[in-house]
This record gives sequence, structure tokens and C-alpha cells, in this order.
Amino acid sequence: MDRSTPLARFWDEFRTNRVALVALGVVLLISALAIAAPLISPQNPYDLANLVLMDARRAPGFVGSKGFTHWLGTDAQGRDLLSAILYGLRISIQIGLIAGAIAFALGATLGAFAAFLGGRIEALIMRVIDLQLSFPAILLALVLAALLGQGKWPLITALVTAQYAYFARTAHGAASTERSKDYVDAALSTPLKASRVVFRHILPNCLPPLIVVATVQVANSIALEATLSFLGLGLPVTEPSLGMLISNGFQYMLSGRYWISIYPGVALIILIVAINLVGDQVRDQLNPRLKR
Amino acid sequence: MLGFVIQRVLQALVVMLVISALVFMGVYAVGNPIDVLISPDATQIIREQTIRAYGLDQPLWKQYVDFLSRLLSGNFGRSFVYNMPVLDLIFSRLPATIELTLAAVFGATLLGVPLGMYAGYRPDSLISKSIMAVSILGFSVPTFWIGLVLIFTFAVTLGWLPAGNRGDTATLFGVEWSFVTWNGLTHLFLPALNLSLFKFAMMVRLARAGTRETMLTDTVKFARAAGESEWTILSRHVLRLIAIPIVTVFGLELGSTLAFAVVTETIFSWPGVGKLIIDSIATLDRPVMVAYLMLVAFFFIMINLTVDIAYAALDPRLRTRRAS
Amino acid sequence: MSSQLLEVAGLTTRFETRSGALNAVEDVSFSVAEGEIVGLVGESGSGKSVTGFSILGLVDPPGRIVSGSVKLNGRELVGLSHADLRSMRGREIAMVFQDPSATLNPVLTIGTQMRLAIAAHESLSEAAATARCVDVLTIVGIPDAGRRIEAYPHQFSGGMRQRVAIAIALLNRPKLIICDEPTTALDVSIQAQILTEMKSLAARLGTAMIWISHDLATVSSVASRLLVMYAGRLIETGPIAAVLRQPHHPYTKGLLNSLPGVAEPGQDLVQIPGSMPSLVNLPEGCSFRPRCTHAEDDCTLLPAFTTEGARAFRCHHPLNLPVSASEARP
Repeated sequence: MDRSTPLARFWDEFRTNRVALVALGVVLLISALAIAAPLISPQNPYDLANLVLMDARRAPGFVGSKGFTHWLGTDAQGRDLLSAILYGLRISIQIGLIAGAIAFALGATLGAFAAFLGGRIEALIMRVIDLQLSFPAILLALVLAALLGQGKWPLITALVTAQYAYFARTAHGAASTERSKDYVDAALSTPLKASRVVFRHILPNCLPPLIVVATVQVANSIALEATLSFLGLGLPVTEPSLGMLISNGFQYMLSGRYWISIYPGVALIILIVAINLVGDQVRDQLNPRLKR
Repeated sequence: MLGFVIQRVLQALVVMLVISALVFMGVYAVGNPIDVLISPDATQIIREQTIRAYGLDQPLWKQYVDFLSRLLSGNFGRSFVYNMPVLDLIFSRLPATIELTLAAVFGATLLGVPLGMYAGYRPDSLISKSIMAVSILGFSVPTFWIGLVLIFTFAVTLGWLPAGNRGDTATLFGVEWSFVTWNGLTHLFLPALNLSLFKFAMMVRLARAGTRETMLTDTVKFARAAGESEWTILSRHVLRLIAIPIVTVFGLELGSTLAFAVVTETIFSWPGVGKLIIDSIATLDRPVMVAYLMLVAFFFIMINLTVDIAYAALDPRLRTRRAS
Repeated sequence: MSSQLLEVAGLTTRFETRSGALNAVEDVSFSVAEGEIVGLVGESGSGKSVTGFSILGLVDPPGRIVSGSVKLNGRELVGLSHADLRSMRGREIAMVFQDPSATLNPVLTIGTQMRLAIAAHESLSEAAATARCVDVLTIVGIPDAGRRIEAYPHQFSGGMRQRVAIAIALLNRPKLIICDEPTTALDVSIQAQILTEMKSLAARLGTAMIWISHDLATVSSVASRLLVMYAGRLIETGPIAAVLRQPHHPYTKGLLNSLPGVAEPGQDLVQIPGSMPSLVNLPEGCSFRPRCTHAEDDCTLLPAFTTEGARAFRCHHPLNLPVSASEARP
């Protein structure tokens, strides 16, 4: 047992859960496919010159006029769905990660500082956060998206606003525990700046619960983004995420052309379920209460 | 107990005030209030009339006071699209949403809690594992996509159930309801199922975790040592012990289900307030948006208040501590 | 020996854990006569509580009774169906636990909890059940029981709460009550009070008791006979006065020496060196060998449970044995 760095030990334990291991593989595979989308897609789905209207709304397996097989069918513009899904994944993952990262940074800093500062400021910050948490994230995002208008950054702003509070509360909880420990007093008695104590000493010790929240929240961001896009409040048509693909296909579903909505949805769900399964395992591993 | 209730009600009032200030700032002060109050198609004369009528030339604090007093008197303005008072519009749509939400939350709880308790009682059985698999799916899969699949499966492919609208309604206590007619009930089923899946998953998880934890406690061992049957232990001891978090979540989820109803109502063309807000966002019908926001905030605060009080009623320890 | 109420013979309870199988209780044999109070003493982890649960058939998985027998009035309890075991529990053998604030259900009134315990065995009318609850609460010394019955556990003091738990155990008039450290969580003054009361209660109702405790002093003040457990095995049994006066097993002697009453005031208490071994990794032979000052080579073989009159012990080199008896040993 020479490999005793925390990361190596974490990995050794993670490997023992088959389901989580497969899920991790799926997440990595989907991410790789999304990154490589421009290279591996049969067509560029957003280059209008590539689209043939004659090929529109064809069932899976249809061989299009461009000579290649549309394995997952085509949409209303004659777009190859497989290509559209790969590009859509790219956008969905990108938005989920960016929103998750900003919410993480913002929420964790806020929560840790609240715990560190204490007193009235802490009470006020946490009161606001609790209030916000009692509101459903989707409603908050919905209102913001409506107020800010369409676009990538308004959408990310809406997602961050809807989610930073989870990080803030988690960081606050963990940091309060840390704050009461002796080593923080020890660090504070040295001539270190308070901000340095928070970032170098308190935050790193709050990381495990934050990482758990982060995995869940990235999955939630992706789902929330898809929902907003489905409701027509997400990204503009020029950047079609999976949610928008599903939304576009919805009207054709009643006439039995299920593939336009269903396949993007399947891709979305595989991604979200896989992230959640990885998150479950990470949570179980980092939760000291389940350790025996 | 009374002191506790009064304290909570006061707290709720303060929160409501804060939210009204936020909405006021968000929509009236930061945004252009003229856009909120006046239809873009209005003539110049009407614009100026309205600016004066709403006191938009007044200082900000006075405007806020006016805004508050309008809210309190129930004047939320008129919808541009429907050209009727916003409050009337919302109240005409509210029963549909309430019906859908209650059906979903009650369905999820009545089914989710027993199944979750079973999964917690026999965590290793095959049935429990299947229950948990369904709950993981219910948690992960976005509501709107489940709605699509439900429509495709039960309405399009099998043709068993209708894909949208409320169907026939009948009047009960002066309000139109779907669930009292057979046709309405068939229309209610799919949207309610769609909306309830997430809640179901949550109830299953909650009940399972609570039951697992409770089964290991000395309370259960002591009841077993007294010869009480497993059924008595589950139905009398465990259920009461896990009821506190479940009631909390039940209440809080009633609110978030109201919010998620936005998605389900859009998919199933269910004519409730959720569909109304989406439509009003699309048509920039801002008075409706403001009214919806305030109303939802009010609902939330009422729900939180009720949960707090129910909590105190359920947990005798809390009751005496708070009262003293 | 047919007058014995409870006869435990060769009881072995095994737990299959990830780090291997362990016998929390191994080859334990003893009996309890009607109305007798037997003290079961051992360190935490010695298997005394598991012994209690095994008698009730309440061992939680992954534990299970792998061999041995538990006979109540001659009727075998090991292997009984769940339903039969359930109807035996509470009615024939009841149990009282250590911490009353953990055993009583905090969200039910004590009246509800007591009525549930009655309803488990007979269907009485609400009024009759309540009347019995009030009777029993009065017996265990709860003043104003008729009114207090609708109170919640948190409205009682710790000592009163344990009285309520004892009342629940008494509700169905069991022949035997297993008391698992029932006074450990209480204040010392209340401990003494409850000890005395339970002793007289047992005498008055003719109820036998197995009093489980890690505290030799407590046990010696209630019990008439002593069972000492170490690492899952019984290592010494006998009438309490005799065992205290002349312990045969070095471990019992160590326990006695560590009592405050034995040492001179101001002197350090004598401790047994080392600590109890892990049950997964027991030393070969006598489990006490590594800590025993009398250990010799033959202690690597498991000593048999030797009976000497009213006393029994599991040791190759017993102390304080009458000369004739020790010479008779091979």
C-alpha cells in the first residue's frame, strides 16, 4: 500500500463501485464526443448549406441525399439528428460547467466569508440565502431569464443565481465547523491577512462537501438549462442546446415523429443520470457518517 | 404555542415586505416602469396620463409606498393581452393549477412514503432496489422530457389518455374542477403523473433514509422487545418518527411543485397559472408577471409558515421548548 | 433442575462482518431460577448485551444464533418462528435498555406507547388498557400517573423516564426481565434509588431478572448470583458473595481490585493491564491470556468450563480454590 496519497486512496475506493465506474466512463465518453463533435459529426448541423429540406423529418436509418445514413433520423430542417445531438451536448455541457463553476466560486466564497465574519453580517447573508433556497430554483431562473432576455450570458446568470445558494449554504456549514477549530485561531494569531486565512486554510478544508454539491449542481444546471430552453427562455436559436432540440421536436411528436424529441432527450438523460451516479458515489465516499 | 405562532406570522410579514421591495426594485425601479404599466402600443397621451396616474414623477420611496398600497388593495393592474384585471385573470386560472399540484403532491406522498418505508425496511430486497432505481430516474430525468414520453406513449402510441387540456369540468363549491368528471379525470391523470414523479422520487428517498435510520434506534428495539409486531412498529412508531421531515418536505414541495407546474402545464396545455406566466413572458405581459411573482412569494411564505406550525404540532419537544 | 425458569446452554451468536466472522457470544451456558436476580458483568464488547438480545431472539443481522439452546420453562426458544418469538417477547421475557431517552418514542405519549405494548399481546378495551397502564406506572413510583399518562417522554426527568420504560416492561407481567444497564445513564443518586426499587419490585412480583452491567458494584447490590463475561465467553459464575470473596478467575480478581472500595484511600486503583482483544482476532486458547499475570504455557489451550459446586470457571490456573479441589485436578 505505497499509493497513499488522498487522491489515490479515493480512486481505489471509487473503483470498487462498478455502477459508479461505468457512469464515470459514460461521462468521460460523452464529454469526449462533445469536444470532438466538429470532427466526428457526419455533418455540421448549423451550416445551412449542408441542409437539404427534402431530407426533413426522416426516420432513423434513412439514407439522405448527401449519401450518408441518418442513424437517428433528421429534424424539421433536414438536419442530421446525431450531429445535432453531438453539437447540442457540447453546448449543454459547456453551459453546465461554466454556470456550475461560477456558482461554486461565488457561493463558496460568500458562505466561507459569512462563517468567518460572524455576527450580524453572517446572520443577514444566511437569512437571504435561506430565503432564496426556499424558493424553487426553476422559478428564479425563469423570472431572471425572462427579465434578462435570451442569450448565453443571461442564461448563465440565471443559472448561477438559481444555484449559488446551495454552495453558499454548504460552504457556510462546513466553514462554521472549521472556524470553531483551534487551527484557525492559530492562523489568525499570526500576521496573516484574514482573506488569506479563508482561502488558504478554511476553504480547502470545506472542499469535500462542496465537491459533492458541485457534481449534483452541474447535473442540475444541465437539466435546468434544458428546461429553460424547452420553455423558449434559454439560448438563442443560433446555439441550440439539447433542450431546444427537444422543444423543436415536440410539435412533431403528436404525429408520431418521436425521434426528433426522444433521441436528444435520451442523450440528455444518459448524461444527467451518469453524473448523478458518479455524484452519489462521491458523496458516499466523502460522507464521514457512512464510514465504518 | 400562541407566542410561537405570532412570532412566525410577524416574521412572514417582514419577509413579504422585503420581497415586495425586491420585486419593486427589480421591475419598477431598475427596469423601465412604463414598460410594466403601459402597453407598448399606447398613445403618447395615454402614456403621460398613466405616468401621472401611477405617480411615476414622485420620489422613489413614495412610489414604493404607493406600490404597496396598490398591492394591498388587490390592484395589480390590467393584463395587456387579456385586457382584464390581472388578479381576476390569475384567480380564474388558479383552480386548475391547484388541482394539478394537489393531485401530484398527494399522489407522490401516498405512494412514495409507503414504498420508501419498505425500501428502508428491506434495503436489500429486489423490490426495494427497483423502487430505488425508479426514484433515481425520477430525480435525474427532467420533468419536461418525462412529459413528452408520457404523451408519446399513452396519448400518441397507445391512445389511452388525452394529451392535453383539462377536459370536462364540473362546478364544486363555485369553482370548476376536472377531477369530478370522468373525462376531466382522464385529462388530469397524465399531467399529475408527470408532475408527481420528482416528488415521488423525493418522498421515496426521504422515507427510505428515515426508516433505515429509525429501524436501528433503540426505540424500535425496545418496541420489538415488548413484542410489538413489525407492522405496529412501522405504522405507529417509525411513521410518526419520520413524519416530521416528510411533512416539512411535503409543505415545501407543495410550493416548488407549483413552480414546476409551469413546465407540466406548458407541455400538457393545462390552462393554469403556470401556462399563463409562460405565455405572459412570451408576450411581455408584465403586469401579469409582477402579480404572479408576488402571488407565488405569498404562497411560499404561507406554506413555510404552515410547515413551521405543523412542525411544532408534530414534535412535542419543539412545542414545549418554543412555548416556554 | 426443572425448577429453572431460563436455561441457556452452549449459546453461540456469530456476526459475519466484512473483516471476518466473529463470535460475539460463544458457548455460553447458565440458568436463571424463578424470581432470581442474576448479574451479568463484563466490559463493553464482552458480549453481555448480545447475550440478552439472543435470549429474546432479537439479534440484528448480520448476527445470528449459530448453535446452543435457550429454554424458557422447558420450551426451546431458538428456532421458534418470528410470530411465536414475537408473542413471547414482552409477555414472558421483557427487556429494559440503558438510555430511556433513546428507547421511548419521543413523538408518542407514554400512554400510547404503553397501550401499544399491551395491544401486542391482548385486545383490551381502551379504558381497561389505560387502567392497567396507570396501575403499573403507580407501581414503579410515578406520582399522579392518571394525569401523567398523556405526557410525552421529554416531559419526564431521566429517572422518571426509566421508570416509564420499566413500567412498559412490566405491563404484560413477564416472568423474566432482562435489564441492560438500566441505571448507567442516570445520576448516581437516582441509580441507587432505582436499584433498590427494582430489587423490591422483583421480590414482590416474583419476577426474575438478568441484570447486565459493566459495573460490578451495581450488580453486587442487586443480584444474588454473578456471571462474568470476557470476550464473548462466560469465565466465572457463582453466588455473588462467594465470587466477591474468593474469585477463581484472574480476570474477576482484576475487576474486584479495580473497585474503589478495595484500594486504600489516596492510592491508585489497580488496573488490569492491556485491553480486551478484538473479537475478530482472539488470542489462541484463553482470551485473557495476554493480560493475565498467572498465564502459563498450557493457557494456549482453551480451558474447559469447570463446575465446582455452585460455582464454575473457565481457567487452567484458578485462584482461591479449596486445597482438595485443586489437588484433585490433573
